[in-house]
Amino acid sequence: MKSYPIEIGGVKRELPVVQVGDGVSVALLNLLGDTELTEAVAAEMARRLPDEIEVLVTPEVKAVPLAHALSRISGLPYIVARKTAKPYMIDPVTREVLSITTGKPQLLVLDGADIVKIKGKKVAIVDDVVSTGSTLKGLRELIESVGGEVAAVLAVFTEGSPRDDVIALGHLPLFKPEEE
Amino acid sequence: MRMETMETYPIQIGSVTRRVPLHEPFPGVRIPLVDFLGDVEFVRAVAQELLPKMPEDADLLVTCETSSIPLTHELASARELDYIVARKRRRPYMVDPIIQEVESLTLGAVEVLWLDRRYAEKILNKNVVLVMDVVASGGTMKALEKMVNRAGGRVIARLAGFHQGETDLEISTVAELPQL
Repeated sequence: MKSYPIEIGGVKRELPVVQVGDGVSVALLNLLGDTELTEAVAAEMARRLPDEIEVLVTPEVKAVPLAHALSRISGLPYIVARKTAKPYMIDPVTREVLSITTGKPQLLVLDGADIVKIKGKKVAIVDDVVSTGSTLKGLRELIESVGGEVAAVLAVFTEGSPRDDVIALGHLPLFKPEEE
Repeated sequence: MRMETMETYPIQIGSVTRRVPLHEPFPGVRIPLVDFLGDVEFVRAVAQELLPKMPEDADLLVTCETSSIPLTHELASARELDYIVARKRRRPYMVDPIIQEVESLTLGAVEVLWLDRRYAEKILNKNVVLVMDVVASGGTMKALEKMVNRAGGRVIARLAGFHQGETDLEISTVAELPQL
């Protein structure tokens, strides 16, 4: 199986290249389960985190351990935008985005109890990979709709087209399946 | 009777105290709502209490998404182990996943756990510790255990931050959560 080499903060991994749709394969980064890589990424991100940031917001699921580790290092609180509204949430606010990996509409949900921690604050969005940016766009709109200011976006990697609106530790190319 | 706009329940873990909100899933039944997402200090306090209960010969931790991920990350980091996260939805990149239904006493949508074969292969012949934030009936933890058995691993311990209600599983926890 084809793989793609990465190195972050001295930690090396071979990412499997997997097909996710017609005519496109991606190098699959999975921070879930990889504590060594997660901690290395969090340490590198903490150095690039602008001083003005007051709170971190991350979309469920794969960036959750990264947000946890970055919160521990930076001392900033983090909030998880969930994929579903939970019965215990108080006045949740939602946005629908189109997921690039599944092609299906995907919800992003903020618990009302978390909104007070975002309102009037300078927010950094923390994600693992920013590709088309559809999740990013939805999350930005969601944060702004509850009165937060998105002052930075941090990602482990951008993917596909490079973008200058994201503070990333690296860039991943897209692959054609026949290249596997 | 004294009325409060927002009733809370106090939880003390080590030197960390949280007053958590009460959630009323059914009329007349209220349960303390513990949220591990977004609270690094609390998660680390719970992890400190659970670490002595983790067997020395543990090879690997297994959990499911999402709220148990930060706790599992902390436990795995402390022992320099990897962990594996069973997903609740099929991901497009999964190849030949293990699919495990969660047996539930309540009617409603059947929950299913998904584990990509790439990760299932890492469980073979390993001593596995199951980790969850809160265990109630234990249905999800039993499904995780079946999944580990199907992948050829041995469950040597079950850890949870909190236990709530009745279960026939032997689980090491930090504290019991009452029904109020």
